[in-house]
Amino acid sequence: MPEHTIGTEEEWQAAREELAQLEAEQGERNAEIRKRRRELPWVPVEKDYEFDTEEGRKTLAELFDGRSQLLAYNVMFGPDYELGACPGCTSLADGLDGALVHLRHRDVTPICFSRAPIDRLLAYKQRMGWQFPYVSTYESEFPFDFGLAMTEKQAQGVPEVQEMIDNPPGWLEEWSAQVGAELKDGLREAPGWIAFARENGTVYHTYTVTAPDPFVAPYFNFLLDRTPKPQPEAPRSWRKDEYPD
Amino acid sequence: MTEHRIGTREEWEAERSKLLEREKELTRLNDELARQRSELPWVPLDKEYSFETEEGTRTLAELFDGRSQLVVYNFMFGPEYEAGCPVCSSIADSFDGVLAHLAARDVTMICVSRAPIEKLLAYRKRMGWSFNWASSEGSDFNFDFGRSHTVEEVSSFLEGGASPGVSKFAAECGTDPAGFLEEGPGLTAFALADGRAHLTYASTARGLEPLMVYYGVLDRAPMGRNEGQSPEPWFRRHDEYATVG
Repeated sequence: MPEHTIGTEEEWQAAREELAQLEAEQGERNAEIRKRRRELPWVPVEKDYEFDTEEGRKTLAELFDGRSQLLAYNVMFGPDYELGACPGCTSLADGLDGALVHLRHRDVTPICFSRAPIDRLLAYKQRMGWQFPYVSTYESEFPFDFGLAMTEKQAQGVPEVQEMIDNPPGWLEEWSAQVGAELKDGLREAPGWIAFARENGTVYHTYTVTAPDPFVAPYFNFLLDRTPKPQPEAPRSWRKDEYPD
Repeated sequence: MTEHRIGTREEWEAERSKLLEREKELTRLNDELARQRSELPWVPLDKEYSFETEEGTRTLAELFDGRSQLVVYNFMFGPEYEAGCPVCSSIADSFDGVLAHLAARDVTMICVSRAPIEKLLAYRKRMGWSFNWASSEGSDFNFDFGRSHTVEEVSSFLEGGASPGVSKFAAECGTDPAGFLEEGPGLTAFALADGRAHLTYASTARGLEPLMVYYGVLDRAPMGRNEGQSPEPWFRRHDEYATVG
């Protein structure tokens, strides 16, 4: 017998309809939050930032590639990571390419940022077969100014980070081995999305969301939330070419 | 300058942290929803369904492909369609990126449509996809799970006339509104236990929004979805967007 509760179609329908009420409530709350996000003030970006891209040095305004909105996912891939980006961030990035053309036609330029040097980002991009533009924030103040990375000193001032470094759970030790960085360096990168608008030559910062948030997680988590069997609690991730069989 | 409200970094921080509280409430609701979904009873299926696939005729149990969980995306591509639904196509653009990750978690994901298998495979080739696609032509599968509708059912939806969106999509699929609306989109999840397939979860319409990766990104972009009150559908197949724009 299956380990799960078995029901008739009628029982399932009744339970499903009850669930639909909660799903509708979630949809309403989500719509309200979307509205509030758009109401946040825009903050002009005063500093001049430059980045290494596949096509040479570019300013923040140039990263928009002619569109008026820039949405970047910050992949945890610091200069100290010897073996590649965070596998969880890598899994998230695996879900982006299918949306690129659709977003570009909605006046949005999607990209990814990481702090490792551009050569390493491009080699990793090739390994993963990605299409999206991958931009390096190496040696720029940008990730520190926008909360996408911490200096060693900043990290020492965050008790939660120090606790994870001093007493790492098993999955985090495994993660450290996967990226090839000590936790004191590995945990200085912040996974998250950052949004900018560009109007009449001015760039504005509009929104940032960092982990933990359901959108700072691989797209397939939405599907795993709807599959019959629970997944393990520990947040372990693998790159798609490194799954243990 | 911009018409949007401009703020200082401090103003943004203050409003952002208020919004973060709302976002966290929504995350807790999402967690509760996931818990309730996992408590739905499993419904053993009495009927044998068979499908045409690239590799020949397969039963529903065989579509699990050796894993114990199956997620079906019900892709709108009816027998009368010349090409798949543009919105389903935009959703399916993200599937190839998740297959390996789902497979490693004991989940097989496929698409099912009612058009003949040759049409499905030709369209898959045109779109450059690699996920498995099964045809339920001649099977009750789509009707039993509420994904396809009879001519009589469709004519009652169409009594007030077809909306401009439906007429446009129907034309793009090479069919009329009645033929187009015979199919509906959905996500249906199954578990295999004791050699038998069980229905575990099903969702349609707004419940499919999380599959639209671009909406998740647009919901964090400065202008949001920007679709106006009565949206003229902007979705195109990825090879049918105007080259400029």
